[in-house]
This record gives sequence, C-alpha cells and structure tokens, in this order.
Amino acid sequence: MILKGDKMVMLEVNNLFKNFDTNEVLSGVSFQVKKGEVVAIIGPSGSGKSTVLRCINLLEKIDGGSIYVEGDMMVKTGNNGKVSYAPENELRKIRLRLGMVFQSFNLFPHFSVLQNITEAPLRITKKEKITVKENAMELLEKVGLTDKAEAYPYQLSGGQCQRVAIARALAMEPDILFFDEPTSALDPELTAEVLKVMRDLALEDMTMVVVTHEMSFAREVANRVIFMDKGFIIEEGEPENIFTNPCNERTREFLKGYI
Amino acid sequence: MFGNAGWNELLEAQKFYWTDLLRLIKLLSTGAVTALEIFILTLIFSLPLGLLVAFGRMSKRKWIKKPIKIYILIMRGTPLLLQLWFVYYVPYFMMPKGMKINLDRFAATIIAFSLNYAAYFAEIYRGGIESISQGQYEAAAVLGFTRIQTFFRIILPQVIKRILPAITNEVITLVKDTALAMSLGISELFRVAKNEATRVFSTTPLFIAGIFYLAMNWIVTKIFDKFEKKLSYYKD
Repeated sequence: MILKGDKMVMLEVNNLFKNFDTNEVLSGVSFQVKKGEVVAIIGPSGSGKSTVLRCINLLEKIDGGSIYVEGDMMVKTGNNGKVSYAPENELRKIRLRLGMVFQSFNLFPHFSVLQNITEAPLRITKKEKITVKENAMELLEKVGLTDKAEAYPYQLSGGQCQRVAIARALAMEPDILFFDEPTSALDPELTAEVLKVMRDLALEDMTMVVVTHEMSFAREVANRVIFMDKGFIIEEGEPENIFTNPCNERTREFLKGYI
Repeated sequence: MFGNAGWNELLEAQKFYWTDLLRLIKLLSTGAVTALEIFILTLIFSLPLGLLVAFGRMSKRKWIKKPIKIYILIMRGTPLLLQLWFVYYVPYFMMPKGMKINLDRFAATIIAFSLNYAAYFAEIYRGGIESISQGQYEAAAVLGFTRIQTFFRIILPQVIKRILPAITNEVITLVKDTALAMSLGISELFRVAKNEATRVFSTTPLFIAGIFYLAMNWIVTKIFDKFEKKLSYYKD
C-alpha cells in the first residue's frame, strides 16, 4: 500500500442516479476522492463501475445526484428532482482537469504516436509548438516509448497503445486521471507493462480513479477500494480490509479467490 | 499497280485522313472542355452541399431529418435527365406570371447536377461518418476538443480515407453523366460528337468521343489512386 498525505477533496460524487431507458444502472452512488489518492473500483460486470466514470467525465448525462470537481459544481439536482448541469464554458474548464484512459485505447489512427499526444495541447491550450513537442517526448520517455514517436497506432501492440493513451491523457495535465478497465483488453504480458506505468504515476502522487479487474493492482497500489454491485456501492475501505476481511457477504463472495 | 500515281494517291488519302482526324479532335475538344466545366462546377458545389445534407440526414430534429430524407429519395430515385428538364422548365412554365424565372441553360444544368450529386455524396458521407467508432468521439471529448475540432481534425480525415473508393465511383459516373446536358441544348462532348456523326454520316466522331471520355476517366482514376496511396500511410 502507498501512503498519501494531502486532504483536499478533488472529487465529490453524491447520490448518483443513472438510467438507461428503464434500466436503473446507478442507484445512489456516493464517494469522495482526495488529492493524491488512488481509488480502485471493483465489482462484477454490469455493476455500473464504468458508468460512474463515464458520468463524471461527461460522456453520459446523470438522472440524479451531484458531482463536484475540486469544489466546483459540475451537476446538481434540485429538490424537485430536476438535474442541472453547469454552463458549457464552466464544464469545459472542468473537463480540462479530468483525463481518461479507455479500455479500447481510442487512439487516433491517422495521427502518429507523437501527434496523438501533441494534438490536444496544441489545439486546446495553444502552447508553443516546441514546448508541446518537448513535453510529449518527456511523456513518451515516462511510458517507455520514445523510439515509437513516429510510429502509427496500427503498428503498436495493445500494451504500447495503452501506454500512448496514458501519455496522451497526461499531456493535458489533468488533476484527476480516470482509468476504465485499462488492461481488460490486454493479455497478461502486456497488462504488466501498463500496470507499471500506472504504478509509477501513483508513486508521483497522481490522483487516480481506476475501474479494474486487476485485483493485485487494487491491492498493492490503491489507497482505497470501492466494491460495487448492481448500481450500489456495497463496501468501501482500505485494500487490506477489503481483501483480507470484507464486512459484506457480497464482497466476500466476489473476492472468493483473492482473500 | 503501285506506280508513282498510286503512291501519291495513297499518301494524299493518308494526309486527308490525319488532317480530318485532327479537325475532329479539335472540334470534340471544345465539347470536352464544356463537359469538364460541368464536371468541375458540379463537384465544387455538390461536394460541400453533400456534407450539409449529410448533417441534415443525421440530425436528431425530425423537422430537419424528414425533408432531407425526402430530398435524397427524389434525387436518387428519379432520372437525372428528368431533373434537368424539371430545373429548367418548371421555374418558367409552372410559376404564375410575375414569378416566372427564365433560367440560363448552363446554370440550370449546374443546379440540377449539383442537387443530384449532393444527395449521392450525402449518403456516402453519412456511411463514412457513421462507421467511425464512438470511442473516437469520446476520446476527443474527454481531451477537451470542441465538437467542431473533433469533426474536422479527428473524424473527417478518417472518413475521407474510408469513402474514397465510393467517391471515386461517383466522380467517374459524373464524367459520363455530363452527356445528359445535351438534352438542355448544351454543346458538350456527346452532343458535338453526335451532330458531327450525323453530318458526315460516320461513326468515327462518336468513337473519338468515347476515347475522350475514357481519357478523362483514366485521369480521374489516376488522381484518386494517388489520393488513396497518400492516405495509406496508416491502417485503420
């Protein structure tokens, strides 16, 4: 387990509700993430883990609850049940503080590795081209892919793609980095190289929220583990407690092989 | 048999043949230029218009989507020949007095062609755009790109690579469709060739016109091959 110090609340999720047609996928999810924390969200498929991430990153619209990022309101629900999002320009600013890494990487196939990483900073933050390129090369070094700068995604392995995706997300200097099952599409060998990068990020005090099935990662790197099932948070706590002696029966059942 | 007189006659016949051929080629060239004008102007208007129509077709608002769908259906479902007549004659003959518009024949041609081809391009664009995975939009969104940036920097380049073969098809068809303009009296390649063929009681002009069309489409094919090659620097 990795120790963290700071107390600032980076992310506050209150009573989140989300329906897809008639299916209630999130039924009142609440949690907080403090600065520098690594929070792992685990649980069976369909538990709503990815949906939570997608709602926070504005890829889905919630049906109830509120989300605050570093104290700024992203969305809240009035007493009448009406959901109201912050104005577009506010949301834009909040978006820039959040980064996300997807299970299927979603690299831009028509851009080289370097271009994938520099495109957003160039177009959005309008920094100097040289600076952006230098930063990108530094990030590539961090993820161990400097020699692939001019390669195209189709030439890379899955693990390399995901590491590029992480570098791409980092290029925008997010305050919180979200990972949606980052290694689920990778075989064990490729998984290891990605987990290493994530572990290094955690050691650098990056605030991270990771939805994962990699229990060893959750156990060894996360400060806190949240177990979700059927749209609820069943249990939440430090990895030692969750993995060695979970309170809830459902948690115990899910972690059968890992305790 | 092939005395001096015979050879001279043969040479004269040859000279006459080649000068006549040259004359034919010069004549048909003017028609080819007109065909090219129709071709280029139609592309200039229909390629962007098609993109707008595609957006309309993909719109969530029913009051935009429905009329666009009907427009596409009519454009693709009726002969271009008929549409040419319609665009030329309706504004004058079917409009009440005072609102009659006498369209220039060439303008009517370009309008009809552009409206027709825009519909075809729209469906090609739409197919390409809808084939781009949702993940691309999502990755762009979380990075902070605006919708316009996402479309022009991320989506459209990928779409172009995918639709290039289909676009090539339409462009080749357009080269040949320019012949339809003759029905509005435009002196494009086919009309010029047909008139000349009738005048000299020979099929040679039509044959040469065929060569012209083939040459133009050969160039089109070569150009699009080059585009495809240029876009092959990555695989999807």
